[in-house]
Amino acid sequence: MVDIGRRSLLGGATAGVAAGTLAARARAAAAPDIVIGAVYPLTGNAAPIGHDAQIALALEADIINGHYDVPMLLGQGGGLPALGGAKIKLVFADSQNSPQIARTEAERLITEEHVVAIIGSYTSATAVTISQICNRYEIPYISAENSAPSLSQQGLSWFFRPSPTDFDFSKSMFDFFAAIGKKTGRPVRSVAIIHENSVFGTGSAEIQAALAKKAGIKVLADISYQASTPSLAVEAERLKAANADVVMPSSYTSDAILLVRAMHDAGYAPKAILAQDAGFIDPAFFKAVGPLGEGVMSRSSFAIDAVEARPAIPKVNAMFQARDAGKNLNDLTAREVTALQVLADAINRAGTTRNTALQAALRATNIPGNQTIMPWVGIKFDATGQNTEGNPVIQQYQNGVWHTIFPFDVATAPAVWKVGT
Amino acid sequence: MTVRPNAITMRRRRELIGGAVLLVLLALLPLPIANAYLRGLIVLTLLYAGLSQGWNILGGYCGQISLGHALYFGIGAYASAILFTRYGIPPPLGMFASAALGALAALLVGWPCFRLSGHYYAIATLVMGMMVLLLAQNWGFVNAAMGITIPFRKQSWVDLEFRIAVLPFHYLMLAYAAIAWAIAWVVEGSRWGFSWRAVKDDVAAAESLAVRVFPSKMAAAAISGAITAVGGALYAQYVGFIDPDSGLGLSLSVLIALPAVVGGVGTLWGPIVGAAVLIPVQQLSVAWLGGSGNGVDLMFYGALIMALALARPQGLVSLFGARSRAGGEVADRA
Amino acid sequence: MSTAIVVQVALGGLLMGLVYALVAAGLSLIFGLMDVVNFAHGELLMLAMYATFVIHENSGLDPLLQLPLVAALLFGIGVAIYRGLIARALGVRFNTGMVQIFVTFGLSIFLVGAAQLAFGADFRSISNGLLANRTVAMGAIVLPLSQVAAGLVCLIAFAALALISRTEFGRALEATREDRDAVALIGIDRDRVFSIGWGIGAATVGIAGVMLASFYYISPTVGGNFALIAYVTVALGGFGSLLGALVAGILVGLVEAMTALFIDPSLKQIGIFAIYVLVLMIRPRGLFGRL
Repeated sequence: MVDIGRRSLLGGATAGVAAGTLAARARAAAAPDIVIGAVYPLTGNAAPIGHDAQIALALEADIINGHYDVPMLLGQGGGLPALGGAKIKLVFADSQNSPQIARTEAERLITEEHVVAIIGSYTSATAVTISQICNRYEIPYISAENSAPSLSQQGLSWFFRPSPTDFDFSKSMFDFFAAIGKKTGRPVRSVAIIHENSVFGTGSAEIQAALAKKAGIKVLADISYQASTPSLAVEAERLKAANADVVMPSSYTSDAILLVRAMHDAGYAPKAILAQDAGFIDPAFFKAVGPLGEGVMSRSSFAIDAVEARPAIPKVNAMFQARDAGKNLNDLTAREVTALQVLADAINRAGTTRNTALQAALRATNIPGNQTIMPWVGIKFDATGQNTEGNPVIQQYQNGVWHTIFPFDVATAPAVWKVGT
Repeated sequence: MTVRPNAITMRRRRELIGGAVLLVLLALLPLPIANAYLRGLIVLTLLYAGLSQGWNILGGYCGQISLGHALYFGIGAYASAILFTRYGIPPPLGMFASAALGALAALLVGWPCFRLSGHYYAIATLVMGMMVLLLAQNWGFVNAAMGITIPFRKQSWVDLEFRIAVLPFHYLMLAYAAIAWAIAWVVEGSRWGFSWRAVKDDVAAAESLAVRVFPSKMAAAAISGAITAVGGALYAQYVGFIDPDSGLGLSLSVLIALPAVVGGVGTLWGPIVGAAVLIPVQQLSVAWLGGSGNGVDLMFYGALIMALALARPQGLVSLFGARSRAGGEVADRA
Repeated sequence: MSTAIVVQVALGGLLMGLVYALVAAGLSLIFGLMDVVNFAHGELLMLAMYATFVIHENSGLDPLLQLPLVAALLFGIGVAIYRGLIARALGVRFNTGMVQIFVTFGLSIFLVGAAQLAFGADFRSISNGLLANRTVAMGAIVLPLSQVAAGLVCLIAFAALALISRTEFGRALEATREDRDAVALIGIDRDRVFSIGWGIGAATVGIAGVMLASFYYISPTVGGNFALIAYVTVALGGFGSLLGALVAGILVGLVEAMTALFIDPSLKQIGIFAIYVLVLMIRPRGLFGRL
């Protein structure tokens, strides 16, 4: 039989972790490596996301293991102090965005690579099977950026999610509408929702429609479309006909590009676009649509411009840029960095990699926001494993850069608000 | 028709003995393997051996190349998962509903599509599969795009839920593959089996031999659909989650057909041999090459399919001296 | 709903339909010639789009001016695929139909992986071509220039295909299609005709790829978005029929747009499939297919 356990790892992602000075290697030999699994779509349509996630996670592992002296929790480097400077070692697996392969690969990571925890997984469908397997083997699953609210309501005791959910995100959008309406005297009276018809888009649109109703805002269009469609021209026509105050899309990159181009082609310039993250924050989106991306707003759990309150951002971002073709950290990659930070902190506090101790340490997590790169109040898990202190922000793309525009107290630029003009 | 009945009876008896020996060997196979991942790999291989055996009845023996079998798989998976999670009907019972619905769906697809031939048929089945995928994505009753999660509650043979033990699933999938094999063995020697081979060989000639072509194709479709649907129900229990993309996608239809094609279409052993080669190779190439995220695993898998299809068009079983009964022997008799 | 929107959407559907028609034409041509369905057809489209992108990035040559270049490149790729794979697949003595289906399936998986290896998984696009982000307005009707140009180029390509079928080579093609074995007797090299047929089929999809690249995004899996529609279009129009591909492509584009407008955008492909099933019930060989 093939010996999978002892095979050497392929790929560059772990190379950064493996590379180090001889002295570091000698120390690592003293304290055994802590092996952490990461399951992401590395091939197929969502592969760009998985590729970035690999770089983000390897970067955070490097910050913890190396000596970069980043001003945040575990940023001083040198491994995990409570475990004799033990190093974090990542093992990546490709889910191919298939729930079955995600399950098989998670099981392989647990039984073959003996990972102490798994981080994942971008798409909700794969998160369902990975979190279930982790629960059966009783090792923690850290959901870095899965945002479907239902995941933390599965009753799993090994599920932990530092990130806000789509409910929190959508709620912040409507909070923003109320606040900006009060501030400018030009409130939002109507919205048009457009979403792709998989888990992400459908779930997001349902919450938005309910919140709009609650806020007394009219939903003039609620359009569902098939992801990766050849054309969004008709959808754009429908949005043009609805002519709502705000267009609220939930789309992946490919469709985001098509949608914005199609609205332009239809001669329609919406007064405001407030996106549910995803495709609308992908640098590839802005490269593709050029000036049409100007003024787009999106919810985010990350604020790259919050450098005063979060001093670690510039250094982490510079390191990320150096490794990922000059890309800035974004909402996804920043949450991946943070997910590994949260996990490493728990392992360090537990002082061991024993699963029950690790679970207890995760439950006792209490990290103030300024010890991370996130604009959150902090990280504290409730009984379902959901972070209760992860408050999202609203950002706007102004002159080619993301600026935080809401909540007003952390805003770095005033919103360009055309509604009602 | 000058084949001596004796030779056929002898050969069929040998096959049955071979099948029984293989069954015993496969039942013992996981015992010395402590490794859960490898055991899981064997579970998937057995599942696909059964699924592809089901495909083979329509695609191999009857020669109707279906590219829409994910449809029956998905219907089976959804039926059993919904009956279990919403109505508390245990999957061993739910599987009967899966089989019935799978057969029904295959008849409904067959009715318009069997009037088409060759590539028209293949593309029509592909389109039927995609239609059901799109409908499922928009249908609230099956949770649309959200899919259905089968939560683990307690270890139970009645509910077919096992915490981390892989062995129960090994024996479930083995039983499934064995039953699919046995059905193929029975129908191969039956009047239907004869009709199918005749239909595949030459429709006009089959008609002149008083083979009722359409009913014969419909029978193959129903059996094939039922076997595939039961596989879907087992899959849903094993993975614990089913959604439109994973249960009804086009790539799944291809995955179901491939083991039979690579192993040997229209042969009893083809689907098993094909699954034993393809599934481990596919899963291991994901495990070994996939982590790098550069597409090499896809290149490897694609190249392997091309190489096998070109190098062994009659299937891998030909390496063991077996011949496609659907091709070779019928031609000999004619 | 105002008339303007309906007209607008119909024209948009028509333009998209012309692109579908051209993608389908290459598939149909190859099928008509040698009874082979190329399941890697979408990946040929993807290769053409990447070729356009790479040339544009490196030389700044506008996609429109790259047409002959990329068409020639795809012609070469088509010939290479025929010589390397298809000729062998047609040569096998068992299960020929099945072997060719799965060989091209394998090829499509391989090409997606290769594209990811070569170009990465990121979404690419050409945003500063001559046609980019310009629109043509006629009263209340606004159409994107890039798609109007794509529609025109597709029509020209169809005209060119129709002309080819009247040349001596076209007659050789026709003769080979009628009876692949008998043509050898009248001095036609069947293998040569087949490889040129593949070349032309691939070049056709190459032209569609260039035009798409100027307004669509590019990724390793982009071919799949169009491939399924291409198969339906070909089956709807009738395998092997050029006119069928054109009419069916336009029909598919219109039905898709109208379903999205009047029923539900997420069901627009269902609209296409429903028309397809309906036509097949009445004419199993498609609108213009030969019996």
